[in-house]
Amino acid sequence: MSAEAAATMEIETLPSDPKPASNSLPPKLKFEPLKAHEMSDGRVQFRKVSVPPHRYSPLKKYWMDIYTPIYEQMKIDIRMNLKARKVELKTRSDTPDISNLQKCADFVQAFMLGFDVVDAIALLRMDELYVESFEIKDVKTLRGEHLSRAIGRLSGKGGKTKFAIENATKTRIVIADTKIHILGSFANIKIARDSLCSLILGSPAGKVYSKLRQVSARLAERF
Amino acid sequence: MATSIEAAVESLREIKSKEPPMWLVPKQELSQAVRAASKHLFSSLKPHSPKSPFDQLLIEGFDAEQIWQQIDLQSQPLLYTLRREVKKFEKNPEEISKLKEAIEGGKKKKVVEEKGTDDIDDDDDDDDDLDMDDDDDYDDDEEEEEKKERGREEESEREGEEMELEGEEKGGIEDKFLKIKELQEYLEEDEAKEYGLKKNKKTKTETKKKEEDTEEEEEGEDEEEEEEEDDDNDEAEEEEDELGLFDGDDEDDEDSLENARYEDFFGTKKNKGPKEKAKSRDRFEGDSGSDDEQDFDKRKDGLSTHEEELKKLQSKIEQMEKANLDPKVWTMRGEVTAAQRQKNSALEVDLDFEHNVRPAPVITEEVTASLEDLIKTRISEGLFDDVQKSRSLSSKAPRETKELDDNKSKKGLAEVYEEEFVQKTDPAAAPLSFSDELKKEASMLFKKLCLKLDALSHFHFTPKPVVEDMSIQTNVPALAMEEIAPMAVSDAAMLAPEEVFAGKGDIKEEAELTRSERKRRRANKKRKFKAEAAKRLAKKPRETTQVDSNEGDYSICYSSLHIITLGTNQFLSQTLHTICR
Repeated sequence: MSAEAAATMEIETLPSDPKPASNSLPPKLKFEPLKAHEMSDGRVQFRKVSVPPHRYSPLKKYWMDIYTPIYEQMKIDIRMNLKARKVELKTRSDTPDISNLQKCADFVQAFMLGFDVVDAIALLRMDELYVESFEIKDVKTLRGEHLSRAIGRLSGKGGKTKFAIENATKTRIVIADTKIHILGSFANIKIARDSLCSLILGSPAGKVYSKLRQVSARLAERF
Repeated sequence: MATSIEAAVESLREIKSKEPPMWLVPKQELSQAVRAASKHLFSSLKPHSPKSPFDQLLIEGFDAEQIWQQIDLQSQPLLYTLRREVKKFEKNPEEISKLKEAIEGGKKKKVVEEKGTDDIDDDDDDDDDLDMDDDDDYDDDEEEEEKKERGREEESEREGEEMELEGEEKGGIEDKFLKIKELQEYLEEDEAKEYGLKKNKKTKTETKKKEEDTEEEEEGEDEEEEEEEDDDNDEAEEEEDELGLFDGDDEDDEDSLENARYEDFFGTKKNKGPKEKAKSRDRFEGDSGSDDEQDFDKRKDGLSTHEEELKKLQSKIEQMEKANLDPKVWTMRGEVTAAQRQKNSALEVDLDFEHNVRPAPVITEEVTASLEDLIKTRISEGLFDDVQKSRSLSSKAPRETKELDDNKSKKGLAEVYEEEFVQKTDPAAAPLSFSDELKKEASMLFKKLCLKLDALSHFHFTPKPVVEDMSIQTNVPALAMEEIAPMAVSDAAMLAPEEVFAGKGDIKEEAELTRSERKRRRANKKRKFKAEAAKRLAKKPRETTQVDSNEGDYSICYSSLHIITLGTNQFLSQTLHTICR
């Protein structure tokens, strides 16, 4: 056989595996995208979001509203660690995308900052929403009564000014003492931030309103 | 004659002797005496006065005036001659001696007497004589003057004397009116014009020559001109060179005229006197008519008619050339200010210029009447020309100003973005915006209002067809309603009995049923329940909402209807009751 094979080496073509000596590359291996579960060598991914004390009872109240979309739609495991006062998130085997975990973590974080569930849900549904936080002292150093007055100016009477800004710029604003958090798309956050900064710096609400009107008209025109 | 003379003398003496006061009262004797005396005087003077028309003074039947006129006629020329004579005698007393020889004492006396009487009678005539100057007398005097002048000149025959004479004459002539130098200039001008004619007139002027100006100052320009001409003649006689020069200039144009010189007409100075005298005498007799004739003759001799015409043309041309060279009259000068023309000269000229201003209207009665009529008609018609305010059309539609919503937004952020997304992708399917909902609500309210107004305003009002909406009706007794609800509530809204229960046959209560009937009811119930359970299991995957119309006494109201009927008080009370129950 071998002699025959050797004898007819020149003529015979080998139907067996191609030789590595030839120039053709091996066929590409097709891999399925890694699931969240398989990432990091099959280990599970975690996120832990600490719960501030003032958000403890609202968390209890809205737990089901938080849990349901995370568990069922994002396919992320969620649990509350009472001892550690943290919300823990974990990927499941059937989690479709690794970004889901991050989104859920952001969602929970937003809730912890003070946003409503209904507003924070938008984080789960849209990709390009962000939360920006800054402090009043970042804009202007205010002390004592000036600070209180600034906070009052920001909110307005019965929250009028804040709601006006929210409605005009399609954002959600949370004023927590000296910290301000804005939830929305990038451009809208910018506009809201500018209005809030002008209010902190001392401009009257009417001026801010007029500016907002212009801006919202421009925004509406675009679409 | 002697007796008459004596009588006259007597009468004269009488008159003389009378005292002046006697003359104040008219008396017959005195008048007769005077008349006689005057007649005598008249007749005695007659031979001395050549021109008197009367031989005798006519007294009978004549008025004082007429007698006076006769005397006047005679005496006036006489006076002149006498004056001349006197002056002459003043200058040359030798002649008096001559006269003395010729005339003896009596005559002289007479002359003196006559003179004296004449003076007495004719004292009043002096002024008149001065004023009334006949040309004839003029000529007369001039003739005699000239005669004497020529005579004097002949005697002296020296330029110096002549100069003296003429100087005297000039001295006599020159006064404030007459300057020799001015005369010279004027004459040189005039010679150009009247060169030919001047020669003809020279004789005339000479006859009209006068020595003294003092008497005839009142004559005026004519005199002066004549005197100028006279002087010119004198000077011409003296200084022929000037004339010669002048002649030289003109010689080119007019030969015959140029060559005609003074000597041709009048001869030399020496021969001038008698010639001139004769000519003057002739002229004197012929007066103006003879002068013209002589002039005409002279013309014929010197120049032809054609030449005359040429001369005239020439003079005209020179006149016009002179006018062109002179500075123009102010009216022809273009822009002339007040300083450049004489005072008040613009008043004499009829100026024509444009008036930029409309002349003020003359207000007459007609004008005012027409105006008033116009006003009345306008008021009656109500046609006032009031200014109407023009509304500026707004070209652009007013922009929808987006109102800032101060309230907390009811939608979550997710829903907001969801709506935005939907609007982007599919604008038609987008849910109504806030403004649209407001518009809808507003339109609904307005429709209701209109309906009410129509009901009030139309005589034949037809209400719109009622759109049946579902509404909750509670089976509340009227009494209860009346307690809480307002006055205008009727029990018509209560449910009707058949609405309360729709059933057939005998209706028995639980307690009334027999055992078999109770069992039958239970069996029916079970069957129904089973059927429904099976139905539910089948429908569950479809997830349809079910509406149970059999539940209770209440009719179901939809959530949308809830909103629409929310405004009514009735409904509010009903809902309250439902809540209570």
